[in-house]
Amino acid sequence: MVEATDHVADQVAQLNAARTLVLGDAALYPQIVNGVLPIVGAHARVELRRWGAEFLAEAFASPLLSAAQKEPMATAVLQTIRELSEVPDQDAAVMKGLVQAVASLYPPLFRHIVKHPQDSTSWENMNAIKLDILRRMDSFPYSVRISCVKFLQRVVQVQTAGPIADPRRPEQNETSLAIVPRSHPLLSIPNLEAESSGLLDRLLGVFQEETSDTLLVNATLNCLASLVRSRQSISNKIVNAVLDFYPTQHVRPPFTATVRVNVKSMERTARAFITNVMKKNPNHPLAGKMHMYFERLMQSRLETTEDASRKRGFPSEPTDGLDNAKRVRLDAMTPPLLRIPPLPPGPLTYAQLFTLTEDIGLSSFDVKQIPADLVVKIAIPLLAQVNPSTLTQAVDAIRARLQQVTKQQNLLRQQQQQAAIGADEDDDYEPEYQPMDVSDNVSQEASAVAAEVADLQPDLVSLGPFVLPQPPPLTEEEAGEIGRSAVARVFGMLNMSETSSASAKGKKQQQLGFSRLAGSTFDRDAWVVLLTRLATRAPAGLEGDDSKTKGGSSSRRQTAISDSIRETLYRYILEDFRARLNIGIAWLNEEWYNDRIQMKAAAESRNDEQGKDDESPPIVALHYDTWVIRLLDGILPYLDSRDIKVLVRFLSEIPDVTIAVTQRVASLARDPERVNLCVQALMYLVMFRPPAREICLNTLEDVYQTYEESRPAAGKVLTRWRPEKMQSLSAQSSAETNGDGGAAPAAVAPA
Amino acid sequence: MEAHLRLSTATAGFPVISFGTGSLVRLPGPSITQANVYSFNTTSYDHMYEELRGKDERLYRSNGILTMLDRNRNLKWGPERFQDWVPGLPRTEHVEKGDKGAIGTEGGVVDVIITCEERCWDAVVDDLMNKGSPLNRPVHVFNVDIRDNHEEALLGGKAILDLADRLNEAAATERSVNGTAGWENGSGAARQGFDEKVPEILAEWQEKYPHLPALWTLAWL
Repeated sequence: MVEATDHVADQVAQLNAARTLVLGDAALYPQIVNGVLPIVGAHARVELRRWGAEFLAEAFASPLLSAAQKEPMATAVLQTIRELSEVPDQDAAVMKGLVQAVASLYPPLFRHIVKHPQDSTSWENMNAIKLDILRRMDSFPYSVRISCVKFLQRVVQVQTAGPIADPRRPEQNETSLAIVPRSHPLLSIPNLEAESSGLLDRLLGVFQEETSDTLLVNATLNCLASLVRSRQSISNKIVNAVLDFYPTQHVRPPFTATVRVNVKSMERTARAFITNVMKKNPNHPLAGKMHMYFERLMQSRLETTEDASRKRGFPSEPTDGLDNAKRVRLDAMTPPLLRIPPLPPGPLTYAQLFTLTEDIGLSSFDVKQIPADLVVKIAIPLLAQVNPSTLTQAVDAIRARLQQVTKQQNLLRQQQQQAAIGADEDDDYEPEYQPMDVSDNVSQEASAVAAEVADLQPDLVSLGPFVLPQPPPLTEEEAGEIGRSAVARVFGMLNMSETSSASAKGKKQQQLGFSRLAGSTFDRDAWVVLLTRLATRAPAGLEGDDSKTKGGSSSRRQTAISDSIRETLYRYILEDFRARLNIGIAWLNEEWYNDRIQMKAAAESRNDEQGKDDESPPIVALHYDTWVIRLLDGILPYLDSRDIKVLVRFLSEIPDVTIAVTQRVASLARDPERVNLCVQALMYLVMFRPPAREICLNTLEDVYQTYEESRPAAGKVLTRWRPEKMQSLSAQSSAETNGDGGAAPAAVAPA
Repeated sequence: MEAHLRLSTATAGFPVISFGTGSLVRLPGPSITQANVYSFNTTSYDHMYEELRGKDERLYRSNGILTMLDRNRNLKWGPERFQDWVPGLPRTEHVEKGDKGAIGTEGGVVDVIITCEERCWDAVVDDLMNKGSPLNRPVHVFNVDIRDNHEEALLGGKAILDLADRLNEAAATERSVNGTAGWENGSGAARQGFDEKVPEILAEWQEKYPHLPALWTLAWL
């Protein structure tokens, strides 16, 4: 036996010498591999088999040998590998080496078969080995299973179509399904493709298992990157599978140290994989999902560690009386309880109320004897050291004492009061009793309390009900001033929210749509609504009241306020009327609505009053007409010929188009540059605002007749809407030109 | 490099290769903007040592750089860059150069990679993915977070050696289970292979060194 062991040791030494040789010169590999095969075959001792398997794995992995050199080697070793792998209960280390070797030789062998379709023996051997490995994969020990994962990845990589770099030089292309000719007798492309697709599913299946196996998950994650990179057709499937994988998903407490190592490991490896994919292709279509994945990984990690730290929290009670560290922690959790001495019976002084110490020396010490600056020096460091819990206890104690004392005194006072009232009826006991005060209940009680307080004065001040005195009435100017400053503040809010929420606004409005409530969102629109209503509705009722009670003198104060708001709004809109036009429209709508309501109310009250007496009907102040004209007048001078949208929007959205409004619009035609603006705006109203059509057409006629430049444009509109009028107009104008021949050329010449 | 020293001179005599992951070798200079920069793979530690000693011996002696370079030049010829490493490329010339721990790494492969900073771990895992794992060989990649100063390096080096010893023991146990006979006889934990034990080994190790946060994954060479 000793001899046999020695013999094996000798053989291993010889083999090692051979290995050193090939490490020095890779060209010797084919020769050495062939020489070694019989020694390390299926019937050799386990040491030799192990050595052989590892050597084969190393040989086929060598970066110094080209794929072309490995092809003949691969066919040469297949038979031996097949025999070795079919040995029942093969040693795990041998199996591991074999699987590694097979994973490395699969691509060159596949290439060999592509080039030599007649070599069915090699392909058969290869298939037998492959099927054997795949079949037994799950029953292998871990070390072998890991290598099987890598083998699966290799097979998938080879049997999926890869990129063709140069169709003219097939020997330079990567080994993949893409180099297999369609008519190959051994390699059927659909079959191989189907097989690789199945194997990929098996490979990715590890991410869906109920309990994640860290080794297999890591092994898979770390070998997927090259598949994603080189096999476009399956890369999305792989990335998606990883993105659906969360290491913490199936982890259940207890979180032992090993579980934490495992979870962290899978997390970081998944992260590394996704980072690698993203680095290769920053514009990956799944980039957004990948970022979310990172975030979720981060969150789930926090949860786990948090749970873990919670689990390792304070012991509920000291497990070991000698364990000082733990006891100190528990002590720290329950600070010393403050002993609260009971109050001495009888009347109390403030000093007694606030004294919590039982030390007589301390409580009788007069602090006033110490100079103030010294007290400050002592007190500040002391305060800094006060234990918060002790302080809370002390404050609570004093509060409880105070409540107790107050209750007692209230009780006492009630008894005395009752006694006093009882005595009152008999004889005028109360010396300060003044019959004048009796009219007011409150003052009576107050005086009674004052009397009682006077009685109990040395004891304690009572905390009775306290009523704030009424503020002095405001003068009209003051009220107006305050009102204006309030309005100014609301405008301030408007400006502020305008800048801050400009971006967020659009989104919110879209979501709300018709279900939006005025002034519920606290954005700029809400403030606008508030302001317009403040200007229109708020003082409306008051105005009516005032006008009714005080008649013609009216309410200057209220109008002053609402008009000042209107004035400010007007200026605010004009400052930037293109952007704030919607505010103007909202405001005018409010005005118009308010006017309607006012008129309706006035009509009703008139109906009511008609029966009683025929006083002059209440005057309703209407604002819409004046303000729409003012606003339009404000805007018009600044409109230029391209502002058709602004003008049309204004005209179409104001609630009521009056003759005055159309005349203002018509005045635009005075400016030859803005003639079209005027005509188009009117045309819009004619077409889309039927109630205003007649007014507008009349205005348009005027424009047509007054301004020569408008004729081509206005003429078209009129021909369409008032053909008969147009005929007579054109006849008239042609008559004019005919009749007064000299004038027309003079008018035309400057144009 | 401290870990390289520890591991290669340990009683177990681990085969070691050491790498940097940055783009250049950067050593502190007279000010923060005047670092001494050398390229990987082509500069020897001896060259750096002599150059810095010539520049300002007092400064580099007092900040410990010369001591460190002296240690390193006795360990191996020069710094190598991980990203330039071709796994599986024979490293017989390193044995000839006298690099410590070179014996056993002739084949240019390793079973375990240990980094000392999380971003190095990230760089290593990422680079291994980029290399496309041509060798189909599993490798355990660990990170042991060590602050980059002399004192922490000494402590960290010890801790890394401890981790390596534990891993080595587990691997040796697996190896000694001779064939299937040993497999059948074992039960429970004894049946576990080396790879499965790694998370447990790391967890146990972490409990002993809680101030050196560790990280691990199984990658491919």
